Amino acid sequence: MINRYKLDSILMKVEKPARYIGMEQNVIIKDLEKTKVKFAFSFPDVYEVGMSHLGMHILYNLINNVEEYACERVFAPWVDMEDEIRNADLPLFTLENKEEVRNFDFLGFTLQYEMSYTNIINILDLSKIPVFSADRDEHHPLVIAGGPCAYNPEPLWEFIDLFVIGEGEEVTLELMDLYSKHKDGSYSREQFLIDAAMNIQGVYVPRFYDVSYNEDSTIENRKPLIDGIPEVIEKRMIRNLDTMFSPEKMLVPYMETIHDRISMELFRGCTHGCRFCQAGMIYRPIREKSVDRLLELAEKLVESTGYENISLSSLSSCDYSQLHLLISSLMDRFEDKKVGISLPSLRLDSVSIDILKEIEKVRKTGLTFAPEAGSQRLRDVINKGVDEEDLVNAVSYAFKEGWSKIKLYFMIGLPTETDDDVVGIKRLAYLVKDLFFNRPKEEKIGNFSVTASASCFVPKPFTPFQWHGQDTIEEFNRKIRLVRGEIKDNKVSFNYHDPRVSYLEAIVARGDRKVSQLLYRAWKNGCKFDGWSEHFKYDTYLNTLKEVGLDGTFYANRARNFEENLPWDFINPGPNKQYLINEYTKALKGETTRDCRLGCTGCGIKDCAMWGVFN
Amino acid sequence: MIIRVRFTKLGYLKYLSHLDLVRLFTRSFSRSNVPVKYSEGFNPHPRFSIGNPLSLGIESQSEYMDVEMSEEIAPNEFMIMMNRVLPKDIQIIHADIIDDKESLSSIIKWSHYEIYLWIEDTKKRQEIKENLDRFTSLDQVMIKKKKKKGKRKIHVDVDIVPLIGNVTFKGEDQDGYVIITALLRSGESGNLKPIELVTALEDKTNSGINLEMTRIKRLDAFAETEGNIYRPL
Ligand code: SF4
Repeated sequence: MINRYKLDSILMKVEKPARYIGMEQNVIIKDLEKTKVKFAFSFPDVYEVGMSHLGMHILYNLINNVEEYACERVFAPWVDMEDEIRNADLPLFTLENKEEVRNFDFLGFTLQYEMSYTNIINILDLSKIPVFSADRDEHHPLVIAGGPCAYNPEPLWEFIDLFVIGEGEEVTLELMDLYSKHKDGSYSREQFLIDAAMNIQGVYVPRFYDVSYNEDSTIENRKPLIDGIPEVIEKRMIRNLDTMFSPEKMLVPYMETIHDRISMELFRGCTHGCRFCQAGMIYRPIREKSVDRLLELAEKLVESTGYENISLSSLSSCDYSQLHLLISSLMDRFEDKKVGISLPSLRLDSVSIDILKEIEKVRKTGLTFAPEAGSQRLRDVINKGVDEEDLVNAVSYAFKEGWSKIKLYFMIGLPTETDDDVVGIKRLAYLVKDLFFNRPKEEKIGNFSVTASASCFVPKPFTPFQWHGQDTIEEFNRKIRLVRGEIKDNKVSFNYHDPRVSYLEAIVARGDRKVSQLLYRAWKNGCKFDGWSEHFKYDTYLNTLKEVGLDGTFYANRARNFEENLPWDFINPGPNKQYLINEYTKALKGETTRDCRLGCTGCGIKDCAMWGVFN
Repeated sequence: MIIRVRFTKLGYLKYLSHLDLVRLFTRSFSRSNVPVKYSEGFNPHPRFSIGNPLSLGIESQSEYMDVEMSEEIAPNEFMIMMNRVLPKDIQIIHADIIDDKESLSSIIKWSHYEIYLWIEDTKKRQEIKENLDRFTSLDQVMIKKKKKKGKRKIHVDVDIVPLIGNVTFKGEDQDGYVIITALLRSGESGNLKPIELVTALEDKTNSGINLEMTRIKRLDAFAETEGNIYRPL
């Protein structure tokens, strides 16, 4: 345990000290002397962000549910806290027992976005754990990582000892069990890693593989260095969501966080097949929890947290096959408790709005829709199965029901995009405005505004667009100016993401092993909290690219061909490469692919859990 | 019906901001099912007020809060129901019905603190008692206090002697901290923060106090009307 008085004098000096004290409702503080395996779980961002992540609550309770295992949390200290603990020479500690992270058996990171990677290096350093895997020995924790970004683990290969690919509930416990067994003998870190790599599905130990490159810097070959470890890593997936572990408790922070509510997962996976969406591919196939199970969980969660809102969170929650039944049952059950229900994502149809009308009886706050692209042609390219009529219907309906603030989400830089498509963003925003003002006078309720929000498209591994070259920053800026120049109405506003951040994100997202040096040197040069605009240091990144001799355009802007050996090709996420190729080819021709609930579209998953259920 | 309670704020929970504390009580009222009165409107919230909030980082043995109830409830039952859902470091230790119309923040005039001073130098540590005596016998102690004037922050010179009730030397604890207690004015009509007192003490007497290591605990708060000083509950 770290020095309590030292910690006290530091906490007096930092902003929001409640970030570092733990002690929340439903916290689990075990006697670490009596636990066999200690797991430090880290969301590599600040407390308020990490605590809003459902996966953290799941793993926390899952591990602590095992009597002899303990899971404690550690987040990225905010910059003021970092300065103080460095000055005081205090190693980074967990929130529960205020124990030094370096004294744990495992340090596990969840990889939710690439721009948090420098924070991972920083957390290792603050914990006084060698940042490079090769420099660690039996005295250090095993540093592991999982989460959606682990599907391309290579940019972090030097820092992480072991990755888990896919859903974490089963594999985390398998790893801890195996470790526990190894600990009973004469523990060797190397032996444990070999055993895990050989015998646990979804485990990737980068050190056990060698990668060779062609002259043009693309990958020539990748081969295992140890006999018996798999060449292809198969992702982990839970088949039955009703019987898997689902938390009945959630930690309730004292301070305000991004989501102050219960999060309940209705299902995993998504069947729409949007071609830009990584989650839509890697979480396939869709698997639902039953209404009964969800009601049971809701009851326990409301009881244990006292929260007054349940958010039904899934990739596209309105797809839940029994949504009406679920919502009406929830409303019945919690009517007198004043528990509200919210849906984070909405489809552009009246069914969604109907449900929304039901659950948001009083407050008519803003509504958000995501057409993603400004023209029908481009929406077909990305396979976003909504058309203008859907938008018109949904928005008209919303206005009739009393909503007056609409937000529209778009992406720019999508494959085949023309200036016409880009200007389509303005057209749709104006269409929404006209729909409001063309209503009869008595139906113009509220203070109207529409916001069009554009992000700069980042091609992601394991999507049909993984071969696409990202627009250059100049091109993004030109397109942004194009839309901005067209919008001249004070009821219509336009905002956009910083293309420079998207450029860096693209470099890392499709990076290979060499990118780890970029991250390391960038961190050395002071980069951290890159996802926070006030901390993002673009110039430092540009200089670091030069320093390590990497060409950013090679990773971000270069279009790959189908023959290229991609850095993540050794992972099997379910859908196969041929399917992604077919989808990309269809995209370029503007052909759509149906929702695979309506009939399997042959993505390549073996023994798909959906066969027989929906098809 | 209004129930007035005394509660603690101890350990790491001293780092909860006033806003965090308000959120905690709001949630705890609804979790415990005590019949608290809610405000009207779209966004109803429970009606309660906490008397002169503590600065972040100060522990307390006695904080006060008034809660408006929608139905009659025995104070003891209220306390038991609430304590079941409150964290162990924030517990209600006394509750009673009051008829007072006056708000807590308008009647509370004094706070009594226990202050732990860290003095590295042993020789200086032995001199602290004399230094305290010297300090308390001064006729005037001027400090610069931050004040808000409109939007700007300005510094004004204030004599703190009238804001000090008493300062007493108590001894040393096993870690080597020097313990003193101080009764200081508290509230809207005059306020002296304990850390301001310690800073002034160090300024005037050069006692070798490490200000950053100072730890403070509020022991109690007192009301004052027409010269009578009494506990609010
Ligand atoms: S195998 Fe067919 S049904 Fe299963 S996820 Fe893939 S496309 Fe959908």
